[in-house]
Amino acid sequence: MSAYTAFARSSFQSQLAYRNEVWANIFGKLVQVFARVAIWLAVYAGVGAATLVNGISLQQMITYALLGGAVMGATRPERVINEIGRSLKTGDISVWLLKPLSYPLYLFANESGSFLYRLLTQVFPTVAFTALFYGMLPPESLFHGAMFVAFWAMSFILLFLMSAFCGLIAFWLMTSFSLDWMFGALLNLFSGLMVPFWFFPEPLATLARHLPFGFVVYYPNAVYLGQLSVTQTWLYLGLGLFWTALFFVGVLWLWRKASTRITVQGG
Amino acid sequence: MLHHLRVLPLLVQMHIRSQMEYRGAFWLDRLAQILSYGSVFASIAILLARFETLGGWNFPELALLFSFQLLAYSLGAALSFVQLRDLEELVRLGTYDTLLVKPFSPWAYLVFSGLNIGYVGHVILAVALMAWATMAVDFNWSIWSALFFVAALISSTLLTAAIITMIGATALIWVRSNHLFAIFFGFWELTRYPLNIFPSGIQFILITAVPLALTSSVPVGALLGKPIPILGDWAGPVSLIAGPLWVLLAIAHWRYATGKYQGAGG
Repeated sequence: MSAYTAFARSSFQSQLAYRNEVWANIFGKLVQVFARVAIWLAVYAGVGAATLVNGISLQQMITYALLGGAVMGATRPERVINEIGRSLKTGDISVWLLKPLSYPLYLFANESGSFLYRLLTQVFPTVAFTALFYGMLPPESLFHGAMFVAFWAMSFILLFLMSAFCGLIAFWLMTSFSLDWMFGALLNLFSGLMVPFWFFPEPLATLARHLPFGFVVYYPNAVYLGQLSVTQTWLYLGLGLFWTALFFVGVLWLWRKASTRITVQGG
Repeated sequence: MLHHLRVLPLLVQMHIRSQMEYRGAFWLDRLAQILSYGSVFASIAILLARFETLGGWNFPELALLFSFQLLAYSLGAALSFVQLRDLEELVRLGTYDTLLVKPFSPWAYLVFSGLNIGYVGHVILAVALMAWATMAVDFNWSIWSALFFVAALISSTLLTAAIITMIGATALIWVRSNHLFAIFFGFWELTRYPLNIFPSGIQFILITAVPLALTSSVPVGALLGKPIPILGDWAGPVSLIAGPLWVLLAIAHWRYATGKYQGAGG
């Protein structure tokens, strides 16, 4: 276990080595969060800022946008997919088979380290700064606040597992480029990062509510805002855990299949 | 000069042949990119279905903006992005030195030997969407407005390529340039939306330091007669002149950076 903690720590520290990039990234993230809030201000201005749309106020949507920036801001699903694609292309993957370590667990440790790094240096400062400008609602209740944290933790693990699952398919396609873009497309639309499902038309809304991608952004945020009752919160936590378990088994199964059919072409 | 012109088509031809080697994978990648940009556009469509306008623009107008922004970007980036992004690696490893000793312009070699036909997916999506949006938008097209549209598209393409080239060329001085690309794309994503919805600081940056608004909502807004922040009535002429002007700036910057180049590896 200590080996994986060491991987996570070294991933955290290796990012600190490029201090100039820390500032560039904070600036980039700040612009992104401001912009997302600006979009909601603009659409609500069109219907009258005090109007409730589908029962949702402007202040709730600003909070949703800020939370989305926090939940998704520190993860890089494309990094996991590209890392697998790169080790496949260069032949590094064969080295992992020689080591008494699990490659998927190494990837997870690595991603956890950089997640923590980005959370502390980029996400918290930028979201807090933007919240000072536009205001942010507190969680609906203590229960919803605590459950938001649980949903967020699940979101991070599920997103990692889904990215790793996508990345491992590269063993059959021999390229990770299209997998990365297709996964990005699904995440764009069905995670709820850009538009929450309560604004979706039917039957797209029902479809989106039952796909695993909604657990990445939509459900953590909806729980925070109190859009899910206590019973619903527990129910969807169960559904989310089911998806997480399914992808966990899926990743282990794919990795086992993949490691028996590796054809190293480079190195 | 003539010698350059003779070699360029050969460089492009060789690169296209190498990119098309795995035809199935090539088209799968393009499909994935079409789906990805399609999903972003779908999000805008869902938002507009509920709210009807965004910063005073309706759905067909935003579709025209989205397609214009995507087409200008993909044409400009085909001439610059991957080639100049990888310049950082060439400098770091010292392989850029081998380009300097060739009896050929390093810029022309870099750009044309890597002319990125991978943007064809972006172009297919943008052109299809543009064809629909130009019909659907409530606007009386004339010869002049059509000419302005085409000229603005060319200027935007040049502007995109110029900015990317300038960012990439900083690798000749600082060795690293990829974090600047991260900032570039952060701003680029904003230009799918009208300029007037953003805080004034961001508006100012998008017209001056990272002038990507001039490749999107400024020319399209000027065409459709939308009020443009900061520039006002100057929006049309400024978007036409911006491309050629930034190309001159990029040439000067490239020369300066080449003068400063000392080599980092080898």
